Amino acid sequence: MNTNSQQKASSKPQTLAWLDELLGTIEDAPPLAKGRYQGAIVSAAGDLLDNEQGLRDLYDRAPRFDKVGLFHAGPWENPADLRPSLVSHGLRAEGAVSTIEALSELRMLSLAMGFHEHPEVKAEEAKEFLLQATARNLDLLLGTDSEDRQRRPKIFKRAQRVLRLIQDEVALEGLEKVILEEVRVLSAQRPIVTDRLQSLVHSALELAETLDTHTLGDGLSKYRRAMDDATDLSRSARNPGEYRRSLRDATLEQLQSESQAMAGLMHETGICNPCHSALLRYLCESHGELLGSALGLNQLGLAELDQNEEAVRSLIRVAIFPETAPAIYGLARTIERGLLSRPAVAQGLRRLTDMDIAAEPRRELLAGFSDDSAVTANAALLAGTLGVLGQPLGIGQGSSPTCQSARGMSLWSLHAPNLLLDMVVSAARNEIVEMEFEGARVASNELPPSEYESRFDSGVDAVSKVLVRHLDRIYQEMSRRAAGRGEDTHKWVNPAMYGRWVARGFASPIDPLTGRVSFYRGFVRRFFATHHPEFHGGHDLVYPNPVGLLVTDVSGRLIGPHAVSLQRVAQDEKGELRAYFFNPNNDGRQDWGQGIRPSVSGNGEIPGESSLPFEDFASRLYAFHYNPYEEGDAFAVPDESVEAVVVKARESWGRSYPWAE
Amino acid sequence: MELATAKRPAPGEKVAPRSGPMALLGYSAETMEAAMRIGLDFVAVVPNGFESLLEKDGVPVVPWDFNRRNEESHLLYEELSRRGVRWSVPLYEETVEWAGAINSRLADSPQIFTHSLLFRDKAMMKRRAQMSGIRVGVFEEVDSRTQVHRFFRRVNDALVGVGPDRENGVSPVHLKPISAAGSVGHVLIRSDEDIAAIADDAFPCMVESHLDGQEFSCEAFIHDGKVRFLNINEYVHLGHCQLTPAGPGLQSIRSQIMQEVERLAKAFDVRHGLLHPEYFLDADGELNFGEVANRVPGGHIFDLIEMAHGFDPFAGLLLCSDPETREDELEKLFPAVGESPRGHAANLMVYPRKQRVRELCIPEEVREDPYFMKHDLVEPMISKVPSREGFGNHYGQIVFFGPDPLRMREILKKYEDLDYYV
Repeated sequence: MNTNSQQKASSKPQTLAWLDELLGTIEDAPPLAKGRYQGAIVSAAGDLLDNEQGLRDLYDRAPRFDKVGLFHAGPWENPADLRPSLVSHGLRAEGAVSTIEALSELRMLSLAMGFHEHPEVKAEEAKEFLLQATARNLDLLLGTDSEDRQRRPKIFKRAQRVLRLIQDEVALEGLEKVILEEVRVLSAQRPIVTDRLQSLVHSALELAETLDTHTLGDGLSKYRRAMDDATDLSRSARNPGEYRRSLRDATLEQLQSESQAMAGLMHETGICNPCHSALLRYLCESHGELLGSALGLNQLGLAELDQNEEAVRSLIRVAIFPETAPAIYGLARTIERGLLSRPAVAQGLRRLTDMDIAAEPRRELLAGFSDDSAVTANAALLAGTLGVLGQPLGIGQGSSPTCQSARGMSLWSLHAPNLLLDMVVSAARNEIVEMEFEGARVASNELPPSEYESRFDSGVDAVSKVLVRHLDRIYQEMSRRAAGRGEDTHKWVNPAMYGRWVARGFASPIDPLTGRVSFYRGFVRRFFATHHPEFHGGHDLVYPNPVGLLVTDVSGRLIGPHAVSLQRVAQDEKGELRAYFFNPNNDGRQDWGQGIRPSVSGNGEIPGESSLPFEDFASRLYAFHYNPYEEGDAFAVPDESVEAVVVKARESWGRSYPWAE
Repeated sequence: MELATAKRPAPGEKVAPRSGPMALLGYSAETMEAAMRIGLDFVAVVPNGFESLLEKDGVPVVPWDFNRRNEESHLLYEELSRRGVRWSVPLYEETVEWAGAINSRLADSPQIFTHSLLFRDKAMMKRRAQMSGIRVGVFEEVDSRTQVHRFFRRVNDALVGVGPDRENGVSPVHLKPISAAGSVGHVLIRSDEDIAAIADDAFPCMVESHLDGQEFSCEAFIHDGKVRFLNINEYVHLGHCQLTPAGPGLQSIRSQIMQEVERLAKAFDVRHGLLHPEYFLDADGELNFGEVANRVPGGHIFDLIEMAHGFDPFAGLLLCSDPETREDELEKLFPAVGESPRGHAANLMVYPRKQRVRELCIPEEVREDPYFMKHDLVEPMISKVPSREGFGNHYGQIVFFGPDPLRMREILKKYEDLDYYV
């Protein structure tokens, strides 16, 4: 025993010494053999990340990471290619990725501190990267409890250690601003599902407390109030139940001010307070005259409420509970859209109330609720439907690659709400969605699951939970049937899938068989001639146009195709012509390189819209629909405008395609 | 025992200039790195798709689809010969006969090719060994379940009264694909049910009787028909943990093993390269031949050799495979005969023992062990543990290094029963 422990003290190989040896070996290795040692380094580094000293030791060595080839030939190789939005996924990832991501952050930190240099990333840029990454990972930084964290505590502690080191090393002066901007941008888009927004506000408030700063706290105050501190009575009540009791003793004046305050904060932030549901339910019973004020309705909305008061009361009674409080905003907007006066819609909503929901959708609808929740699947679905009807541009695809389905739901909500309701009913009750493709029936229940189906994001709205799997199957089946025709399949799939709102004309410069780009200038001219008000002969967009974009990264490199809907083209307040579009990925703040950064507010956007200057939008476009009878004058588009688009396209996504010219 | 002693050996001196490059068949970063370290010119013959990567590194490369054998196969020889290649080295099981074909033309000696085929057909391999007087188990080539059934019955009938006293009185037989590497596709047959469960596409294949005893492998570096270095690698628990060089039991019969390996080299007419045979040492001290490969062994055995003996086995493979290598170059690389190893190296392959795992968690006991060297385990990729195929899909290995082979064997057996994933 004695010899054993002596041996241990003198000879136990230290992970750090092993790491140093490996760093030396990989440095000497020719590029082709770097990969031989990367795995071992990652394993050793993973162990070191498990304690503070180990992390410091790794950080000390971070200036060497680039030079020795630690990230050689992998996705992390060039720090200029990395995106702060992917850090969150990386740090939580399975396998070796979480460690590699952490090492990459340490490399970035070393760049930010000037411990080493990189030709493409300056210290300031590295700092900005870390700022953005930290702002998007406050939950990791603060160690916010979650199911995933409980399941894999080690990984979350490692991530927290790394983010704390970043926080300690770089004075994150701009962090507050970045967080506030992130909160503002998320809120401005008025998403149906506000979980991400709310957890960001929670984390930011916690951070404000630990940092003892007022700027952050002040900037967040309206969100904080919207979430849990909206009114005098709700402040003193600990939960919606207590709040409900306090309402009984409230005076009419009190009720009036409660209503106004709740509604005001909701419309300002898009966040609904659980107590708000208790207020609405109480008003339904005893003070119906205050409902309009408690929903914060505009003139049109008040008139609608007047017409449909009984329907509104019944919607509140069936669907609005503390657990489904986010639907209050959807309800208010649904009323303001005048949808309750459309018999088919009113009828569709009533059907959702009492129909039988099949076992599988029922399970999915109720999955997010706690054990002691009394909300029924019907209530959850009805609440979700109010969100989709009230916030057509607030639909999000979550992390699933189902942008096509999301933009379909958005379009139907805007222009065919009764059709959408039919589909929801059929999907929830019969687990079928049927469509037609060129005269032949396409039924989702007869189709194989799509390749992503097992990995769908469960954090989406209730309607998406029920409907998307069917729509995705149909989309894939239609694409399969249209494949091999020598033109982009969307030409046939989009009108069949989305309906008669999609114009039959279709343009794309990419040959799907060869992948070659040809007649691109003509394509650009046609887009101007059909969408630019100066050339389209007065034919403004009537319905959203399902268009295909080639999304690029910060360096302008192709990431992949993405489905969005072009909603409208209009001049903003500054007189700049912009394309306003619905991007179902809900990640409004992106950087597509070449200075192209879609904005979600401040440039005339309706909540939920993204926008870009018209030409920038055109430079990322690869497919759009148009009405062949409403084409303007392509020849009149100035060469300079076309050329500007061509240059931006060729120098970004165009680098990944062969060009015919 | 210091960590320093298990360090990577220095690259050593560059070799003398050769009359042309060697062709390395298969993508092996280790071998290419070794060739670069010792200054040996080579052409990499790699599967399609790897060439751009290598060209970026300035490596001369010929892309080749080793799975396609047709009337155009000779083009590889022509391309290599145009590039002045003088000899080729197989790095994977699948490239062994390609090397045989190319080398037979380079040396204008057809039997090199036919001999290389012996390594690719396990039944032929065993028959060849048997005909050279090497002890092997009973084996048969089979086309159907009926034949497996008959073999299984006959082996068990023959063992009546003398066979191993197993729980259910049955001696198992092993079913192996003719040409797969190592343990891939291996099925243990213990009952009629096992036979019924054999997949249709498993045939034709071979069946062989079960050999009892201590299993071990050898890595014999052969140049000019002579064994220049012999490592004996002990399977402490086949597919789970192994020890290099082997403990005192096997080392005590080293000269006997050496004789067997030399006999094998002669039987298979291997003049240059690596032989990686597997044997069983039975209770009577007799060696039974299992099978032999003519390529880099699996199971990270080369890593263990490097740690234990202090030379780069990939460089050793290259020097031995090269007919132009000079005696002094071999002497400089390999430890002298009788030189003791720097220590004993061992690895433990880790397979999660639970159905669902969340996190990697190496027991403190293992980490704190003075023999603990390193590991290459990472966080689990998916929470559902896949079922095993051959010995291929372990999650990684833990490597130990220490002076005492007996203690090593003890800790391997102990640590093998621990959970490394929770």
